[in-house]
Amino acid sequence: MSAILEVSHVTRRFAGLVAVNDVSFTIGKGEILGVIGPNGAGKTTLVSLINGTLSPSEGDIFFEGSSIARLPAFRRARLGIGRTFQIMRPFPGLSVLDNVAVGALFGHGAGESELAKAREKALAQLDFVGLGKFAAQRAEELGGPNRKRLELAKALAMQPKVLLCDEVMAGLNLVEIDEVIEVLRKIRKNGISILVIEHVIKAIKSLSDRLVVLHHGDKIADGPTDAVLSNSEVIEAYLGRRRS
Amino acid sequence: MSPFRIGLAIVAVAALAALPLYGSDVVIQFGINTLLLAVLAQGWNIIGGYAGYASFGNSAFYGLGSYGVGIAMVQWGLPFPVGMIFGVVLAVVFAFCLGIPVLRLRGHYFAIATLALAQVMSAIVSNISLAGQNIGLVLPPLNNDRLFYELSLGLLIIATLTIFWLTRSRFGFGLIAIRENEEGAAVMGVNTTLYKVLAFALSGVFTALAGGIHAYWITFLDPESAFDISLNVKMIIMAVFGGPGTVFGPVVGAFALSAVSEVLSSEVTNVAGLFFGVVVVAAVVLMPRGIADVIRRFRTSGWHYFIENLRAHRI
Repeated sequence: MSAILEVSHVTRRFAGLVAVNDVSFTIGKGEILGVIGPNGAGKTTLVSLINGTLSPSEGDIFFEGSSIARLPAFRRARLGIGRTFQIMRPFPGLSVLDNVAVGALFGHGAGESELAKAREKALAQLDFVGLGKFAAQRAEELGGPNRKRLELAKALAMQPKVLLCDEVMAGLNLVEIDEVIEVLRKIRKNGISILVIEHVIKAIKSLSDRLVVLHHGDKIADGPTDAVLSNSEVIEAYLGRRRS
Repeated sequence: MSPFRIGLAIVAVAALAALPLYGSDVVIQFGINTLLLAVLAQGWNIIGGYAGYASFGNSAFYGLGSYGVGIAMVQWGLPFPVGMIFGVVLAVVFAFCLGIPVLRLRGHYFAIATLALAQVMSAIVSNISLAGQNIGLVLPPLNNDRLFYELSLGLLIIATLTIFWLTRSRFGFGLIAIRENEEGAAVMGVNTTLYKVLAFALSGVFTALAGGIHAYWITFLDPESAFDISLNVKMIIMAVFGGPGTVFGPVVGAFALSAVSEVLSSEVTNVAGLFFGVVVVAAVVLMPRGIADVIRRFRTSGWHYFIENLRAHRI
């Protein structure tokens, strides 16, 4: 499996705080990479560094072999990097359909130029994530779980090559989590690589091919999912040291 | 847009275009003023209503448009259309040079920075001898109010058609996305910096053209009146009164408020300003999203619409 995205020795500091410290890893084509870690481990910062919301203090990021670390966010979006936000950011006054149409109009390869076609594509994405019947509603009227689905639909409408999912399952119930897992599997089947940040271990276990563990900004593990989850350092980071 | 609405728009435009045939001089002059104000409100609508950046610097574009015509006609003896083009060039250059730094600011900070722009321009122009310094410029008079009326109407139609195009173009969608959530727009591939500057420039083009027509019509301009901040406040009030971010809202707002202000100043004369203020306050409290929103929602909510807005203000 060749790497579509490579993060190479990336460090990000906020004044004195090192949020991400010398982290390196790759995502292969069509791979699902799980990123886990306790709160404050630097997971969201990492996603922001990859999609361009933040730029790294040190290190470099390669997408399909070329460096993207200095490109503005919109250029990276057009190259094919889509992301969802943990704290949902819809366009509140626009209809659910038009929220997604923005992705189709602008996303990968600078998107669709005609509004009618972009809306057609957007509707297809809404049906895909199960929001079709809400298309005409205003985005701010959607409830929590549906907002999560909207985040996914918006990112998918961009036709990304890599999808960065920042806690798309947080706050969902078990049935809804299973639905999202199913959606993510289908996305991968279409050849899209996915990076999932998640706290729901069950989801991580059933989805990811590989797992990266962050702790206080450091990468403490990287490998096949099952092996990483039984790693003693990882268990310690999550649960604390066992008293003997 | 339904055929009924298109028909209605055509009838309205025809009625407006024919006004000089049956209207008196006073009506035509009132018409020119109102049409130019509507153009200004539409110009503001692009940057304020669609991109969501409440600009107080549009009066700088207005002044540049006025001075473009003034300088070209008085100092260089060029014809009026060349002056208009010169004014537009000035406005676009201004929008690009100052838009790039100023459009990095958001909310109140953007408003304050643009407010300063107009003041600074007034100070600069009053020290340039080409622009007649403090004394101003006197343009060659052209006593043809009908021509000015039709010119203003034509400009308003072009501005409105441009905004209609915005609502169904990729560019307009990008602007709306910026207004709704700028970071979210960038992450989805919208070149936010470029789009904001283009919106600022487009807004400037219409504002400058209105300024140019006004200068030639009034035949006199000085820094004080050309870069008048209260004009900027007027265009914002009119756009917001009618409905910012809609195609016809600012036009309706400009017509309605011009009429109200005209009636008040002829009926109650010296306290007209007071009553005008009351109208604006009532409008903001009862219909904060403008007339366009009232028309959209009144059918479903009825009078309850106003009560809901009152409650939202926690009065």
